[in-house]
Order: sequence, then structure tokens, then C-alpha cells
Amino acid sequence: MINLTLNGLPVEVEPGTTLLEAATFLGFPIPTLCHMEGLSPYGACRLCVVEIGEGPRAKLVSSCTYRAEQGLKVRTSSARVVRARRMVIELLLASCPQSKTIQDLASAHGVRQQRFRQEHEDCIMCGRCVRMCEEQMMAKAIGFQGRGEHRRIGTPFDKRSEVCRLCGGCISVCPACQLRCTYSDPDKVICGGCANLAPPCLEKPGFDDLMCYMKPCVACEISK
Amino acid sequence: MDRLKSPSEFAELQERLRFARDPSTPVIVISAGTCGQASGANDLIRIAKKELLRRGLADRVHLRVTGCHGYCESEPAVLIEPGRTYYPKVGLEAMARIIDAVAQGEVVEDLVYVDRSTGKRIPRQDDIPFFRRQVRTILSRNERVDPIRITDYVESGGYAGLAGILERRAPRAVIDEVKRSGLRGRGGAGFPTGLKWELLAKEADGHGKFLVCNADEGDPGAYMDRAVLEGSPHSIIEGMLIGAFATGATEGVIYVRNEYPLAIKHLIIALRQARELGLLGADILGTGFSFDINLVRGAGAFVCGEETALMRSIEGKMGEPRQRPPFPVQKGIDGRPTAINNVETWANVPVIFDVGAEAYARVGTPGNAGTKIFSLVGKVRNTGLVEVPMGTTIAEIVDGIGGGAIGTSSVKAVQTGGPSGGCIPTPMFSLPIDYDSLAQAGTIMGSGGMIVMDENTCMVDVAKYFMSFLKEESCGKCFTCRKGTQRMWELLDDISRGQGTLAHLDLLEELALVVKDTTMCGLGQTAANPVLSTLRYFRKEYERHIVERRCDAFVCQELTGAPCQSSCPLGTEAWRYIAHVARGEVEEAYFAIRQANPFPSVCARVCNHPCEERCRAGSTGGDPVAVRALKRYVTDRVDPMLFRPTRTPVAGAEETPIAVVGSGPAGLTAAHYLSLMGYRVTVLEADPEPGGMLFSAIPAYRLPREVVKKEIASLLDQNITLRCNTMLGRDVTLDGLLEEGFKAVFVALGAHKSLTLSLPGEDSAGVFPSISFLKAFNQRGEKLARGRVGVIGGGNSAVDAARVALRQPGVESVTIFYRRTLHEMPAFAEEVEAALQEGVNIEPLAAPVRILTKDSRLIGIECVKNSLGTLDESGRRRPVPVPGSEYIVPLDTLIVAISEGSDTDCIAVAGANRVEVSAAGTVRADPESLATNRPGVFAGGDVVTGPNTVVDAIAAGKRAAMVIDRYVRGEPLVQPRRPRLPEIYVEPLVPEGEGTPTARAATPRLSIPARRRSFAEVEASLSAADAAREARRCLRCDLAFFRGEVSRPPLGAEVNSAPSPLRAGDPVGSPGPCGSRNSAGSQGGRP
Repeated sequence: MINLTLNGLPVEVEPGTTLLEAATFLGFPIPTLCHMEGLSPYGACRLCVVEIGEGPRAKLVSSCTYRAEQGLKVRTSSARVVRARRMVIELLLASCPQSKTIQDLASAHGVRQQRFRQEHEDCIMCGRCVRMCEEQMMAKAIGFQGRGEHRRIGTPFDKRSEVCRLCGGCISVCPACQLRCTYSDPDKVICGGCANLAPPCLEKPGFDDLMCYMKPCVACEISK
Repeated sequence: MDRLKSPSEFAELQERLRFARDPSTPVIVISAGTCGQASGANDLIRIAKKELLRRGLADRVHLRVTGCHGYCESEPAVLIEPGRTYYPKVGLEAMARIIDAVAQGEVVEDLVYVDRSTGKRIPRQDDIPFFRRQVRTILSRNERVDPIRITDYVESGGYAGLAGILERRAPRAVIDEVKRSGLRGRGGAGFPTGLKWELLAKEADGHGKFLVCNADEGDPGAYMDRAVLEGSPHSIIEGMLIGAFATGATEGVIYVRNEYPLAIKHLIIALRQARELGLLGADILGTGFSFDINLVRGAGAFVCGEETALMRSIEGKMGEPRQRPPFPVQKGIDGRPTAINNVETWANVPVIFDVGAEAYARVGTPGNAGTKIFSLVGKVRNTGLVEVPMGTTIAEIVDGIGGGAIGTSSVKAVQTGGPSGGCIPTPMFSLPIDYDSLAQAGTIMGSGGMIVMDENTCMVDVAKYFMSFLKEESCGKCFTCRKGTQRMWELLDDISRGQGTLAHLDLLEELALVVKDTTMCGLGQTAANPVLSTLRYFRKEYERHIVERRCDAFVCQELTGAPCQSSCPLGTEAWRYIAHVARGEVEEAYFAIRQANPFPSVCARVCNHPCEERCRAGSTGGDPVAVRALKRYVTDRVDPMLFRPTRTPVAGAEETPIAVVGSGPAGLTAAHYLSLMGYRVTVLEADPEPGGMLFSAIPAYRLPREVVKKEIASLLDQNITLRCNTMLGRDVTLDGLLEEGFKAVFVALGAHKSLTLSLPGEDSAGVFPSISFLKAFNQRGEKLARGRVGVIGGGNSAVDAARVALRQPGVESVTIFYRRTLHEMPAFAEEVEAALQEGVNIEPLAAPVRILTKDSRLIGIECVKNSLGTLDESGRRRPVPVPGSEYIVPLDTLIVAISEGSDTDCIAVAGANRVEVSAAGTVRADPESLATNRPGVFAGGDVVTGPNTVVDAIAAGKRAAMVIDRYVRGEPLVQPRRPRLPEIYVEPLVPEGEGTPTARAATPRLSIPARRRSFAEVEASLSAADAAREARRCLRCDLAFFRGEVSRPPLGAEVNSAPSPLRAGDPVGSPGPCGSRNSAGSQGGRP
């Protein structure tokens, strides 16, 4: 067993436990977007940062990827952590203001403004869909493309995927695009619909042949 | 060559190679790295081979093609051994001459390096300042070795360290040796290499271990790894072999970016040759030790230089960092223990085993052993690769080796560590370069990029550039790095466009700190450094962008417009009249000048032309457009009376009398613009004639009197009453003027006294302050100079005084004593040049310490020699007296012209009128509103600034007119500034069959003998053909603002509809009273 200090409390956890698991188990909730039980830890959203170490060597690490170490001192909501977390939420709000999940996060953390140029993106690149597809659905139909600001999610070479089974797992795990409809162009359709949400699909040809997973579907609701 | 089977066979080979070489045979060494090839080294090689064969010298003179030697500025370069003669920038014809000379054992004197400051020829490479100050442990190997010949490397001592280690068979001792050497990782973080190896050695080697050479060098402006890879690939292979033996690693990988084709080629050849010789692969040198190296090419992602991303890239996955721990040493490529070191680190390893750990550790400082290669680039004279011991100061690298700033600009900062690094300002240049000092200063060593920045570099723009690089090159995994860099770029973009607020700065800082704190890998954690370090040291520059909407480096386009226009204190649209000159439209050109400047002919002769200093044709490496000469061309051809300024009367102005005290450029300008608004202006002048300093300080050979008179006459009109022989303090007082009914008073008295040297004897006969000397001659015709004349100072006033003295009878010689060198003299370069032509001597690096008198009459001065020391706050090198260098100069006349002057007369007058004065001895007025402590009393020009340029005085007069108008009408005096951007499109005209001329037109001057004793004007105007040609050199920065515009607006159309001659919110950059874009057709045209 590994002994560490969590918010001043001495605790004991199994080797290999991540700080996020330890804190959540012991009743210190840590917000996160990219982490999901059953998927491998990734550390993309940076919302779950906690402060470790002391003095000048103290630093922030993502708790979902950092494994418990003997004697580690962890603070899950120090001033530094809270400041960082609120800025992350502000950045999220600036990019994806329409996501219910993000709005709830902002509300819970008292973030009431965002001071950047407003964007309306559909994806926060948390990579849940990618890991879902690879690790749970064993399909590897979608993945990341590009880097930096050009990073996006798609199928290899943006061709319709041969291995995608249209299972919808990618959509069901998406934290940013809940209550949105999938894209329906039959040539381009991919199960990483969370990345390609632009216009709702009703007027697209071939809609009737596609399965729609959304209940209720925004597009259908509007057209009624 | 046969495979070597034991270390002793290797030693034999090495001995044989050494014996075979005759050290007296001349060798022509051609540096042909990527940089050398780009500047023509391949042609040199071809010519050299051909010429050697043709002359049958192939046996007597050898040729060696090597990697980069480091002095990129002088590529293509040739080095001749054994004399080590260095020929920079060798042309094709020069190569043949060099070969002839080599065959004869001679040196081609006219092709060798010439020292810029002393003018001396320096044949030996090791004596050239750029090389002399370096310690070239790693780079010097590049000269000795042809990278595609393993025999060269072996012969120069290569692989001997490895052979020795393999013979001793003590891996632990190897690690101890590296630890004792104190070598730290050269990739940037400075992790002790020995410790890293020890950790790797301790890992169980169940499935093998990896060693990686990180050659994914991607920092903009950094290329030292490329030079090592290209020039000495075997040193990296040897380093990795030593590392592998010490740590028990089984596989090696060199991860090199695909953008380095030459490096890849040399590496492939080197790996093959090492394998063939039995130095790589299975059973190395028959000792049973096996290790092989593969080459992996990176596809160009900057983030793949980060070790965890690099490992993923080697595994064939997307280059994306992951959480550490586990560290690569525990879990690396394919889960196997991996140690990753930078190219330079590996290249240092053989050095340790060559010289021994103790000797290695003696170089540098404790904790920072050895040398480090920097790539010195940017606004510095000697660019190239520089290898110095750790702990060398930045000043030594930038000034000593780099030779300081280019041209007349001064160095502002140095950026180290690439996009992840930060900027260090000039006052911190005494900082020793080592990992810890740099980290404390808010930057990093990084891989060793060092970008020098001068005053033409905008720090906001620098931060914005790095942010735009990082937002493209962040892998995008961490949300805060991907979005944070993008958002920081957006904020910087807003600021650089003048759309920023002070809240932007707070948000920028807040965001930068969070990005630094919350990202996973080194790239993200350091991504905020460019922003944080520029904010830390150059916050004022950011604030200037936000509050004043000014970019002082004239880089941010939306704040600058055309640099010539925005650098002009009057906002003259230089680009516009230059465009008209190019089209042959002299009158339009004149109106464009005159709209902004009531004294165009004066400025055409004596302006300090800040427009030329900032001209992009000049700041990008060439010669600036001769703006002032073009202005002279225009003003000489148009009568000032032809221009009819627009009058825009302000309601109630006729009943508002205003007083202007002083009729110099500031006073007359204010009176002129107030008159255009309908105010009744009374100008008071102490002298019998208006003109002020234009007459009293500036000599007639620079500014003929009739030109000034004509220009002044064109400004006076029915609204202006001139009262000459009326002196403030003697004939009138401010109280009296206000009581008389004047609603406002503008005080523009000028500055009429120079500062003194504060040396005893300064009041003796024969010693004159420069202003008194010039005034005595210009106003009263008194010729005070005689015999041997000395002038102290380096400003325009010193040069004027010297040239006036030279023209006076009874003067034998004139010498200017200046404390720095000619290069630093603040006087206009063309004036200095003219003075030298006329026979004025300039004694640089000399400062007076004592005035020698006899019977209270000057007989000479004692001077001390200076040497230039470190940079001061102004970015110039500080003069330091050399002890014991004092010497005596006999003199009959001494003119003191140390420029920082003030006017005690005016101060006394101002004080008596209850106007506040500053400690520096000038009238205190708000720089924006020109308001003094007394309501209704404004002050501007030299009386506020101390002796200054004509154009600044005119600008002050213009501003005064505007603020007095606002004051009278009860409006706020200061209004936010709006950047002046080009608004009028003038179609460029390129005559058929003419390319762009490249040489700057020379101003025609009177012959030197004619100048010696005469006060006739020295400079003449350009010919029409020269002027048109010169005008076509203009880069037309204004055109960037008229994208898509194809046709000119119809002739005479009103483009500028501003009702007031001085537009609100734009104090100095006003288009002036003539509101029309093409005045010839409307107002201001011919009667």
C-alpha cells in the first residue's frame, strides 16, 4: 500500500491508483471532462489539476494521469488549483458556450464571465470518443488529426470508415456536444459525429436510411 | 577498409593514418555545410578541383570539404592550413587567386578579413575577433574533418576514447568519469548526463535498453545541432557508443528532422563507414560489445523534440507528450528503458574522454562545465555559431563576438531558448550564461538560439510571433496549451492592432501563468515565457501600444502605417510626396509636404529626418530612401506663395486674441495654424527680425537666409501681428499680456545657452560656449575663432561650430574631441562627413580633464583617452577613461558644445512670471497638452525640451495651436491618439524597361575648396532624373493599406473631410490645413 497526504489527511491507497481515483474515492470531488471510467487516463482537459509537492518545487499535475507516490503531498483545491481551474473553465466557456456540461461547470465554480473572443466550437478535443472507439469498441475508426489549433477528430484521410459500425459510442461519451444531432452525409458519415456537428441533418439526402441516436433530436424537435 | 578486430588494430590504424599525413602540405579547407552551400561553397569546390588539376597541383595542395565553421556572416569562407589563413566571402575569381597564392606559400592580402573598427587586415583565423574570443572545442572539429571520411575523424583522434574504454572494460568507471566532468544536458533543461546514464544503467535490461540522440532541432533561429550533425557525425556516433557501453544499452536511435537533408546524408554515410570498420554493430572491435544505431526521420512537428513525444514518434504514433513519471529512463520506447540526449551532449562525450574529466570540468563555471554553442542571429553584425565556455556574459557574446548592433541602431534585448525562452534586456547583459542564471532571469538556455534585437524590433510583435508559432506547433492535447496559446496570440494581436485595453494585459498575464502551470509537457510549460518575459521587462512598450497607440519600433502595421509618416513629428506623408515625385508631379508633392509642415524648405535642409532612420528600405538592410533630398528637390521647384492653405474659421475666433512669445519655428508655426482658425495672433520677438534659432544657431551654409525669410513671409498674414524688439521680462510680462486681453499665451522662447564642462578655467579668454559662438557670428558677424581651434562634443552643435570656425580667417586647424567613437556620434552622419571633407579633424575617444590657461587666456587642454566599455542605458557603449593616457593639446580657441543645454535666461524670465521650471533647467509643461502650471499659459519647443531639432519645435507649435484652440473653446486639452494611416491612394508608376534602382542618390555638394572659406550653401538639389529614380526606390509601405483599390479618386475630390485644419484626436500626425488630396485642382492651386 502507498501512503500519501491528501488535503492534509494521511491516506493509504493501492499501488497504481491515480490521484483522481484516490481523491474521488475519499470524498474530494475533482471536476474533469476528458476522464471517464473504463477509458485509459489521457490528461487533455487539464480541469482535474491538483497541486503536489511543497515550497518552490510545488507544481500542478493532472490528477487523472498522475499515480500515487509514497509520501506525496496532494492538495485538490488550493488557491493555485482553483485559480487554474477557473481559467480553464473560462477558456472552455469561450470556445463551447453551448455545452450544458460546461455551463454547469462554470456555474458550480462561480465563473460568470469569459473575457476572450467568443467562439462556438463543437469539440474540446478531450479525446473521449477516440478512446471509446479504440478501447471499448475495438474499432479505431476515428483519431486525432493535425496539431495545435488545427487539431481535429476524424477518420483516416477523412474517408468513410470501413471499420466503423455506427455504434454511436463516440457520441454517447461526448461531454461537449450532448443533445446535438449527428451528421448525415452518407459519404462522409463517421461515428465521430461529435466533431462534425454543423447543420442538422434533416434536409440531407439519405437521412431516412441512417440511424439517429438522439432522443430527443434537436433537429427533429425544431422541424416539428 | 577491413573490419578492425581489436582495439590494438584500431590503434595501429590511427598511427598509420597520422604517419601518412604530412603536416606541412597546404590544405584548402572549404566550409560547405548547408549555410556554406547556400552561399556558393559548391561552386568554390568545383573551381578549386578544376584549378588544382589544371595546374597539376593535386599532389602538392590538398582540398578538404568540411561542415560549417560557424562564421555564417562571411560564408562562403576558405581556410588555408597549416598557416590558418582565413578568406571570408570568397568569390569565384578569388578562388583561383587563392590557389595560386597557396601554391606559392603566400597570402592574398586584399582578400583577407578586415577588422571593421580598426581597418586592419587580419589574415589568421584565430586572430579575427569573432574567432579569437571563442573556445571552440566542438566546432573546431568541423574544420579538421571531412564528414564523409571516417579516416579523417580517426586521424584527428576520433574513436580513440571509445577504443580505450572498450579495452579497460569498466562501464561503471565511464559513468563516474562523465559524472566527474559535470556535463549537463545541452538540450535545454540541463539534467546531469552522468546521472541520467547511471539511472539507465541501474534499470534491468530484460528486453534491451535504448539510447536516443535528439536531433529534432526546431527552434526558429537555432541551427547548432545541424552544424554538428553535418560537420562531425562520427563524434555523435562515438558519444553514443560510449554511452551504450556505460549503460548497457542495446539499441540506438538518432531522431533527426527531415528538413536536414545534408545531415541525414552525412549520418547515413557515417553509420555505414563505422559499421564497415567494425566500430558499430555486433562485436565492436572484437570485444563482444554490440550496439547499433538506426536513423529515424521526424516529419517536422516541433513538439517531437519533447522527449515523451519523440518516443511516441519513434514508435510510429502521433507525436504527443505523455505524463511523466514514468520517466523515459523507467519506461521509454516500447516500454523499455530509454535515455535521450541532445546532439551537442553526445558530441561533448568524446571530448571528456579525450581531455579527461578534470580538464573538462575546468572549462566553464562550477556546476556548469564545458562549452556551449549558441547560434547568434538577428540584428547583430557577426551572425553565426559561437562556442563559449559556460558562464560567459551575454555582453561578451553580443558585443565582443557578435560585434554589436548593425548600423546606427542599438541593441535592445536578446532572446534565448527559442519559442520557449524569453527576452533579456540590455541592462542585464552582464548576466553570465548558464542554466541557473537564465532561469532566474525568466528565460531558458534551450538548445542555444540567441536572437539579438535592436530598436527596430517590437517586443509585442516578438511575443506575437512566438505565440503564432506555438499555436501551430502545440500538439493540441492539453486544452490549456492549445487554447491558451491561441488566446494569448489573440490578445497580443489585439494589442498590436491598437485594439487592446489595459485589461488585456492583466488577462494576458493571468492566462500566461495558468498555461505555464497546468500543461503537461515542457512545450506548454514554457509556452508562456515569451509573453511573461516581455511583459516583465518591456511592460512600458505594451502600455505604449495600448494607451498611446504607438509602436516605437514601427513594426505593428496598424499602429504604424508607413514608418516615414509615423516617425515624422509632423506626420508628413513622406510616402505620398515621394510617390508624386516618382510620377513627376512636383506641385502635388509640394502640397503634400506643405499640408503638414509650414517650413518645408527649412526642413528640406536641416531636418534630422527621422523618416530616413525608420525607412523600411533602410531597416531591412539596404539604404533608406533619401527623403530629405527629395523634399529639397520639391521645395526648390515650387514657390511657397503658391500654396493657399485652407482656412477653417472657428466661431468667435476673431474676438479671441492670442499671444505667442518667440518667433522661432515653434512660435511661428503656432501663430500660423491659429491664424488659419481665425484667431488674432500677436507674435512677440526680442530680436529685430523673426526667425529665432533658424537664424541664430544654424549656419548660413546649411540654411541660406533668403530661404528662411521667404518661408516666414509666406506664413505671415492679416491675422498675425508681429511685434519685434519686444522681450518677455524686459518689455512685457505674462501678467501684463493676460491683462491686455490675450486669452492664451504660448511661450516658445527657445534655448540660448549651452551647458558647461564644469572645469576650472572655462571662463578664461578664448573659451566659448557653442551657442554664444554661433550667435556671435550668425547675428553680429563676429569672428571669434583664431589659431588652433578645439571643439568639445559630438552633436550637431559641435559640428556646426567646427565648420563655422573653419570658415573664419586666422584659423589654422579645427579639431573635434569626442568621448566615444565616430560610430556613436549623435551629429547627423552627412554633417560629420562634410566636416571631415572640409578638413575638420575628429579626435575620437578623447575627453577633456583640464583647461590650461596662461594669464587667464587659453593655451590648451589636457585630454584623457577613453576606451569603450559595457553598454549603458541608451544602448551605447560607455566611455571608460584609460588611466595614464592623459596628453596635452595646445589650443588658441576652445568651443564647448556638449549638447545637453538649458537656458538660464529663459528660466529666469519664466520664474519671474511664476511659471514652474524643472530641475534640468527647462520650463515644465505637460508633454501632451503643453500646459504650464499657469492656466492659459502654454509652452513648447526648446524652452521645454532643451536644445532640440527644428522639426520637433514645429511639431510643438502645431500642437500648441490645437490645444490653445481647445482651451479657448473649453474642450478637454488631451484627446486619445489615433494612429495615422495612409488614406490617399497614389498610383505607383514604373516606367517601361526600368528595374528598381538600388543605389541611394547622392546629394550634390559644393566642391571642397569652394566650401573652405565661403558661407555659400553646401548642399544642392537633385536633378529631376535622379529625384525620380530615387523616389522609385521607395517601397511604398502605404500600398499595404489600399489592397484591392485600382483607380485613383477623381482629381480634386474631397477625400479628407475633416473640418478643422488640425484634426481632433490627432495632435501631430495631422494632414494639415489643406484638406484636399489633390490641391492643384481645387484650393491652394494656381491663382
